[in-house]
Amino acid sequence: MDKNIGLYICTGCSIGESIDVEKVSNIAKNALRIPVVKSHFALCGNEGIELIKNDIKNEGVNTVVLAACSQRVKYEEFDFPGCIVERAPLRELAVWTQDGKENAQLAAEDYVKMHVIKAQKGDLPEPYLMETVKTILVIGGGIAGMTAALQSANAGYEVVLVEKEPQLGGFVNKLHKKVPTAVGEYSEPLIVDTDIDKTIKEVESHPKIKVYKSSKVEKTDGQPGAYDVTISSNGNSEVVKIGTIVLAAGWRPYDATKLEHLGYGVSKDVVTNIELEEIAKKNNGKILRPSDGKEAKKVAFIQCAGQRDPNHLPYCSAMCCVTSLKQAKYVTQNSDATAMIFYKDIRTPGRLEYYYKAAQNDPCVMMTKGEVTGVADAGNGNLYVEMENSLLGQKVKIEADLVVLATGVVPATVDDPILNLQYRQGPGLPDLELYDGFADSNFICFQYETRRTGVYAAGCVRQPMNMSEAQEDATGAALKAIQAAEHVAKGIAVHPRAWDMTYPDAYMQRCTSCKRCTEECPFGAIDEDEKGTPFYKPGRCRRCATCMGACPERIVSFKDYHVDMIGSMMKNVSVPSEDDKPRIIVLACENDAYPAIDTAALKKMNIDAAVRIIQLRCLGSTNLVWVADALSRGIDGMLLLGCKFGENYQCHFAKGSELADYRLGKVQETLGRLQLESERVQMIQLAIDEYDNISKIIHDFVERVKEIGPNPFKGF
Amino acid sequence: MPDVNRILVIGGGFSGLTTAVDAAETGAEVIVIEKNPYLGGRVAQLNKYFPKLCPPICGLEINFRRIKTNPNITFYTMAEVESIAGGPGDYNVTVKVNPRHVNDNCVACDACAQACPAERPNEYNFGMDKTKAAFLPFNQAFPQKYVIDSAHCKGDCGKVCKEACKYNAIDLDMKPETINLNVSSVVVATGWNPYDANKLDILGFGSIKNVITNMMMERLASPTGPTAGKIVRPSDGKPVQNIAFVQCAGSRDENHLPFCSYVCCLASLKQTTYIREQNPESKATIFYIDIRTPGRWNEKFYSKVKEDPNVSFIKGKVASIAQDEGSDDVVVTAEDMMTGNKVKMKFDMVVLATGMEPSGAAKKISGVNYNENGFALPNLGIHSAGCSKNPMDVARSAQDATGAAMKAISTAKLAGQGR
Amino acid sequence: MPEQIMTQPITQIISPDLKFVKDIIASGGESLKKCYQCSTCTVVCNVTPDDKPFPRKEMMYAQWGMKDKLISNPDIWLCHQCSDCTAYCPRGAKPGEVLGAIRKMAIANYSVPGALAKMVGNSKYLLMLFAVPIVIFFAIIASLGNLSLSSIPRGEDGGIVYSKFIPVPAIDTVFIAAATFAAISFVLGIKKYWADMSAGISVQGNLMGSIKATITEILAHKRFEKCNVTKDRKTAHLLVFYAFAGLAITTTWAIVYLYGFHYDSPYPLYDPLKLLGNASALALLYGITLVTGNRLKNAEKAGKGSYFDWLFIAVIYAIVVTGILSELLRLANIAILAYPTYFAHLVFVFFLFAYAPFSKMAHMVYRATAMVFARHTKRD
Repeated sequence: MDKNIGLYICTGCSIGESIDVEKVSNIAKNALRIPVVKSHFALCGNEGIELIKNDIKNEGVNTVVLAACSQRVKYEEFDFPGCIVERAPLRELAVWTQDGKENAQLAAEDYVKMHVIKAQKGDLPEPYLMETVKTILVIGGGIAGMTAALQSANAGYEVVLVEKEPQLGGFVNKLHKKVPTAVGEYSEPLIVDTDIDKTIKEVESHPKIKVYKSSKVEKTDGQPGAYDVTISSNGNSEVVKIGTIVLAAGWRPYDATKLEHLGYGVSKDVVTNIELEEIAKKNNGKILRPSDGKEAKKVAFIQCAGQRDPNHLPYCSAMCCVTSLKQAKYVTQNSDATAMIFYKDIRTPGRLEYYYKAAQNDPCVMMTKGEVTGVADAGNGNLYVEMENSLLGQKVKIEADLVVLATGVVPATVDDPILNLQYRQGPGLPDLELYDGFADSNFICFQYETRRTGVYAAGCVRQPMNMSEAQEDATGAALKAIQAAEHVAKGIAVHPRAWDMTYPDAYMQRCTSCKRCTEECPFGAIDEDEKGTPFYKPGRCRRCATCMGACPERIVSFKDYHVDMIGSMMKNVSVPSEDDKPRIIVLACENDAYPAIDTAALKKMNIDAAVRIIQLRCLGSTNLVWVADALSRGIDGMLLLGCKFGENYQCHFAKGSELADYRLGKVQETLGRLQLESERVQMIQLAIDEYDNISKIIHDFVERVKEIGPNPFKGF
Repeated sequence: MPDVNRILVIGGGFSGLTTAVDAAETGAEVIVIEKNPYLGGRVAQLNKYFPKLCPPICGLEINFRRIKTNPNITFYTMAEVESIAGGPGDYNVTVKVNPRHVNDNCVACDACAQACPAERPNEYNFGMDKTKAAFLPFNQAFPQKYVIDSAHCKGDCGKVCKEACKYNAIDLDMKPETINLNVSSVVVATGWNPYDANKLDILGFGSIKNVITNMMMERLASPTGPTAGKIVRPSDGKPVQNIAFVQCAGSRDENHLPFCSYVCCLASLKQTTYIREQNPESKATIFYIDIRTPGRWNEKFYSKVKEDPNVSFIKGKVASIAQDEGSDDVVVTAEDMMTGNKVKMKFDMVVLATGMEPSGAAKKISGVNYNENGFALPNLGIHSAGCSKNPMDVARSAQDATGAAMKAISTAKLAGQGR
Repeated sequence: MPEQIMTQPITQIISPDLKFVKDIIASGGESLKKCYQCSTCTVVCNVTPDDKPFPRKEMMYAQWGMKDKLISNPDIWLCHQCSDCTAYCPRGAKPGEVLGAIRKMAIANYSVPGALAKMVGNSKYLLMLFAVPIVIFFAIIASLGNLSLSSIPRGEDGGIVYSKFIPVPAIDTVFIAAATFAAISFVLGIKKYWADMSAGISVQGNLMGSIKATITEILAHKRFEKCNVTKDRKTAHLLVFYAFAGLAITTTWAIVYLYGFHYDSPYPLYDPLKLLGNASALALLYGITLVTGNRLKNAEKAGKGSYFDWLFIAVIYAIVVTGILSELLRLANIAILAYPTYFAHLVFVFFLFAYAPFSKMAHMVYRATAMVFARHTKRD
């Protein structure tokens, strides 16, 4: 696009008082050769907007550079469709955070230059369009999978449902009764029929749902919007075109044979909670004990059997307390029988507390906190449950004729990739060991985000949860899958850049097949052909530009973001000739670190005059060539401000800030070649709420650079 | 009947925002109604999220950006839904928009606040400090627009503020407005209020100075709070060394809130980390009935906090709190059930882990169904999400709200509307 | 029994007794199973010791049907049913009511014969229990030929003389028998109770001292002052307590008059005996009305009380009302009403006396014993 730039300098918000606007205008007109340069007291007001709109209409301005405030404010006012809009935040970076007119002026000049060059180097985004389908694949035909399928189908989408068992229903099929999933309060009856058959029938008869039973996903090839999923059923394979995926592969109970200390495998009358369901179901509600078929009269429920235990499952399965309360009702259908529940904590959060209260209010239900230490033979055909630190006494044992172990949830993904993705980075969702094998999100705020675009997990494969929670969860996952299918069809990114129409475009002729991009992409968006040459699957891409940062050949670009663009901005940063005036470039993540800087500005906190701040999509897009170029130009130091990484990482692209840090570890070599101190480049993790620390962090870094001394390349 | 699939989201807290952006990104038109002058709701008042101990504004920022970049979303702040009538696919909604007295010209330059002669209690910080009557609710408030609190800006105040503004952004004559909306479906995401601790007569809130609530603790620990993040006790500003957390203060109690508020155990565990981080010598004691950290992530967080030898747990509900004689300390009584003895312990400060009362308990929207505790119940094309429906943490609210977006989108489809 | 702190815990075998649980529920403890062990009750209770306090642990034992831990437990009697626990219980488990039910069962457990206690505690047997005094007194009247009320001899002034309706010695014979029965039953019960309480505990110290201190405390009703929700109970209970004492003195006095001085009733209204008796009756009426009023007023917070409680209150009402009416009707000379009322009065008094070891009346003896024991074992 032929650019006709208009630079508009706002003089409001003290900009006019702090800087010499005319001087800046002259630089723009004369040095930067910008045809239209105007200033106004309040650009964001009606008059200011009209001024710009008029220029667009009458002067042919198609690239608007606003030297005013941060892009985080006045976004509605400064929206000019069809134009490139670039915002130079003079107010925040040159006025509110700078002391003295001189500093403000120098900063303003730099930021105007930097953002004009950025506008010059950028282009209007164009979506990546390919042939897509919007069919939703649901893996798993349990309650979560069926719910996701019905929700998607009822919203008008074609659905393919794959279930490994010969019938749909999953674990619910095994249940004798369920907890009423009433929307109101829990009251009698406290156990109701599962009615799973109705749901199964609804799924199987739905015109938009195609069900594959006794089937598995053998292969998932391609990308969101254009997956080729190979489904194998009874030795036959079929390839189906799929848009996006709901992973509802479910769970299995923890292997009770590992719970020998609780008598499992030692006595026949020690069963798991799932086995109790089977007993109840088989005998029409009667609880007959396995050893002799007699009706159980004293049933002990041991909660957290192999859960909340570092030797078994370190987590809580969230469903077992309510399950045992429900199963106690099975037992006490016989009014002579007692159901004894031994717990660490009863966990019935939210409105489930009503259920606890109702289920407990039964003469035959007896409960105590305590640590069960073992289950032993009582010698009379019954068992002793041994317990310490209980509310009944420090060390007690209680006779039971049947012991039920409330075993926990193990996600299907713990040892099976399920998806069998044909991705260079592997067949499953990556790094699930962080989540004990669950296909969980690392984000509190964005529960469905996985590291594979277009794949959304639901139900117990995602987190331990109960049946009604799984249904709600699946409803949300269905929405995300639909949303992703729609976005990819329009060539728009999904979360967290759900507005972004750009996509990575690599100049493959210069690719050396070093594979850094394929290894580093947090989302596995880049595969390799037989020769090892990378190629993009843009549908999988989240537009974080980590590949752009990884590429030593600098061949990856987006229409509005590329290595040369940021590099050129840096080249337009002035380098003071005085030795005691260092120049430092701060690369700040636009999602967290930069908003924190904006807030510091709002609070009128000082930022050292030595720094010039550049926003990056994600710190993962940091290309080391910027470091080398900047330092060889005489820039005294570079500071990278990015999100916290590690186990509880906050990077919205999962790996960006960590990769930036990792790359900086390798920059040493480059700096060494330039005979520069590695301390000149540093990364600091900064959360969005740490704006009060920014002044100090930057100041301290400037001081350290000053101690190191001026960059010897200064003036070259 | 609206000509597009238009969804009304009541409440601009985390649930409402999630429903709004998820529905809008899936193609629906969304209108968000928020009663506060800012979006973000309760989470905007939190210092950190459990179990990750990350800042809430981080996720909000992403959602704000999603709103800014999405033309399908409209939002109204300082607005309240008065009534809903109609049926799935065609609801008529009346909304009252209260005057902000500041228009879109506001650039957040702070000149009005600097000039403003009047002050008002800062409810964002639970009244622990004051702001000017012309104010920005908090540093990272979105939208970044000031508010004039006309109840406190009396006499000359309005004139002074107006004269200070160079951008003609102050409009003292703004009147409440009523707008009517026609939508296909509604999502109630009106959230919750902290249970009124004054009602817990035996726990001393209101009469004993150094007894505060967990939400007040969030503000005390926050850099934007009344003490700039220093956890000091209200009576004398002494840094808190020895703190007690009283769980189920009002929750799981049929005299108050008969349900479990879900978040309070985790919130107290989280708050022990605030105090432990600020002061390595500090000690925290949690008095509980059951520690409820359901699921994977939450339980692991509990395990981690338990490893700290300076954090102790006593099974036994606190049912008596008294002012120490001769000092500002607070005496807490409970039965330590594991030893079976009544204990009386002295603390610098006591935090009541007060629960969440659904907003429907205090104010019901005509046309929405509620249960006896004020939880909003789904009804045809009116769905509910987050804590207005069931107590839950932020993660579950996010998940639930996405599900609500799905249900809301399908409402129009099932009612036979096109997109 | 108070739990001992043991360095080396011995494994106890817990044997839940479902029947016992159901019995507690049937005896007025229907809210028992709502308890979720938070111990609010224990903390708000002002009468419990701090060491191994009640009633939280009693609720636990009760939920598990651990009869042995409850029946002989002095703590159930240290509870004065202030009902602070019930008022603040977050679950509506009403520990005050549950303990009341357990006390009723303890009475039933220790009183001899036990079957009688079951009858007193169950409304089904109410008529049968009343039949005993009715038959006895009816037999006496019949044997004297006094069934026709008009033929009963009158006094010198033509007034009604109850002793001519039923001779005092006959009444005394019946009541001495009833009282002896009650006393023996009490002695046997308390003996067993004491033995159970002190099993496995070395009791030493000054028993007389403990008894004296306990009596002093009871006379002053100090413990009731610690109640919060039912603060006003002290006055009511104190009135009833001293009214009974007054009536006991009146009765003794009358025996002295009759057998010592051969001074026959009716006595003139100015006689000090009559003054004391009437004053006590009025105090009892006022006291029991206060009790009823308090109970109704506090029902929402403190619980509505069981059959066992209300039976006791009703009997007291009946005694005092029939007593006063007997006197008034006698003075008004309305024979047709006076004799039946007096008859009813005797029946109710018999009911109170003879069934004392099995009714709520027994609380007086068991609570006093438990308080002595607690003091004696330094528990309280």
